[in-house]
Amino acid sequence: MSEGMVVSEGRITVEDVVCKTGIDELDVQLDGGIPVGNTVLMVGSSGSGKTTICMQFLANGARQGERGVFFTITEPLFKLTKNMQGFDFYDKKLIESGMINLIDLRIISERLGLDAEKYTVEDASALLEVLKDIADELNVKRLVIDSITALCYRLQTKEMIRDFIFKLGSSLAAMNCTTFLTSEVPPNEVKYSQYDIEEFIADGIIFLGDVDRSGDLIRTLQLIKMRGTAHSRIKSAMSISSKNGIELTPLLKSRA
Amino acid sequence: MTNTLIDGLKERVSNAITINQSVGVILPGNNYSDLIQALFEHIHSRSEDVWVYVTITRPYESIFKQFGDLSSGGNIKFIDCISRAAGLPKIDPNCIFIESPAHLEKIIMEILNIFRNIGDNVQKYLIIDSLSSLLIYNDAQLVTEFFTHLTNRTRLSDIHSVSIAIEEEMSDNINKIIYLRSDKIIKLRESFI
Ligand SMILES: Nc1ncnc2c1ncn2[C@@H]1O[C@H](COP(=O)(O)OP(=O)(O)OP(=O)(O)O)[C@@H](O)[C@H]1O
Ligand SMILES: [Mg+2]
Repeated sequence: MSEGMVVSEGRITVEDVVCKTGIDELDVQLDGGIPVGNTVLMVGSSGSGKTTICMQFLANGARQGERGVFFTITEPLFKLTKNMQGFDFYDKKLIESGMINLIDLRIISERLGLDAEKYTVEDASALLEVLKDIADELNVKRLVIDSITALCYRLQTKEMIRDFIFKLGSSLAAMNCTTFLTSEVPPNEVKYSQYDIEEFIADGIIFLGDVDRSGDLIRTLQLIKMRGTAHSRIKSAMSISSKNGIELTPLLKSRA
Repeated sequence: MTNTLIDGLKERVSNAITINQSVGVILPGNNYSDLIQALFEHIHSRSEDVWVYVTITRPYESIFKQFGDLSSGGNIKFIDCISRAAGLPKIDPNCIFIESPAHLEKIIMEILNIFRNIGDNVQKYLIIDSLSSLLIYNDAQLVTEFFTHLTNRTRLSDIHSVSIAIEEEMSDNINKIIYLRSDKIIKLRESFI
């Protein structure tokens, strides 16, 4: 962390250089938080907790006065809010006050007159402009796209995917906005992205998996990479509960 | 059950946990219920302290039926690791039901969560009932690691702990680790009692 940096307006604080997820154990593993402006892939199979951790990231930020936006593609808004109401970290007031903005990307692309299935290069850049405008106008510091896999599916070539994520990431970084992109992968595979590109462009990868312990599945979280910080690479056990949302503790390893 | 036996046990246990940070109690299965009776009587007499009771031996409901009166002081919270896996959970504000006794990390998280909200000026106590029962659901190496990790964390948070081990369920590893990680061992022998 660059705590010693000094600029003319005064000292840069830790908060200016790292974005705290607000999940304590995760911030410790990140050596303080995510470097501001990073684009992070939240990778996991179905039901691994990607949406939940992203929403908790936004809620924690909103409580610190950082505005966030959540673009959903996979889940309609009413289902998303219904699922999130089960968690104590979720507070309707954060939505009502505009500290968290929930936006259905399918509705945006419909309004732009884009094909629902496949985007042309022009479609992709139109969509990109809209995303950037929204982020800029709302002055958001935290942004989520759930999921980037579904978005990539509509981009037809690897070049388009690379271009889209790269441009999105650099524009948001310029706005000091930290971004989570959820990435869906098949269960029990060590694979971080569907199209093998997302992971190379992203600044960070957080992997949600599970381990089998005598037939019971234990959720796990592991930091695979995070540019700009000396992070831990240990595998943690992860719990999802209504009361505390996402929580981590070191995974106990059976040597048997 | 004679009262002198329980009174004697109560005195030994209460002396030990007041002085020592971590106490291991190793006992034959025959004396198990006497020990639990003694523990609850002790807890009942210490209403200013906060207790977390982790059960892996008996469902919370059955403990509550037997000791409900002694645990009614509001100073004890339960973590039940077996009812949910057995399909018997109830909702109870005084008890957290963990999905499986194999989810050792979750046990640690819930223990620390309860104590996290307790002020520094309150004395905190943890009871693990029992370490040996965890061996039914987990391999010994894992239970050893669990216990090491847990005692590190409780020490850091100034939580006193009583860890019970039933002789008939013990393995060499657990015996070793309980001796290694406890400041004081109380070993009950049937012949003495
Ligand atoms: N209130 C709750 N308390 C505890 N666990 C919950 C709660 N709500 C959901 N869960 C657990 O979280 C899991 C879903 O998490 P989430 O929706 O964040 O996963 P996801 O990775 O986004 O899944 P998908 O790929 O299907 O979108 C559920 O399968 C469920 O096990
Ligand atoms: Mg999801």
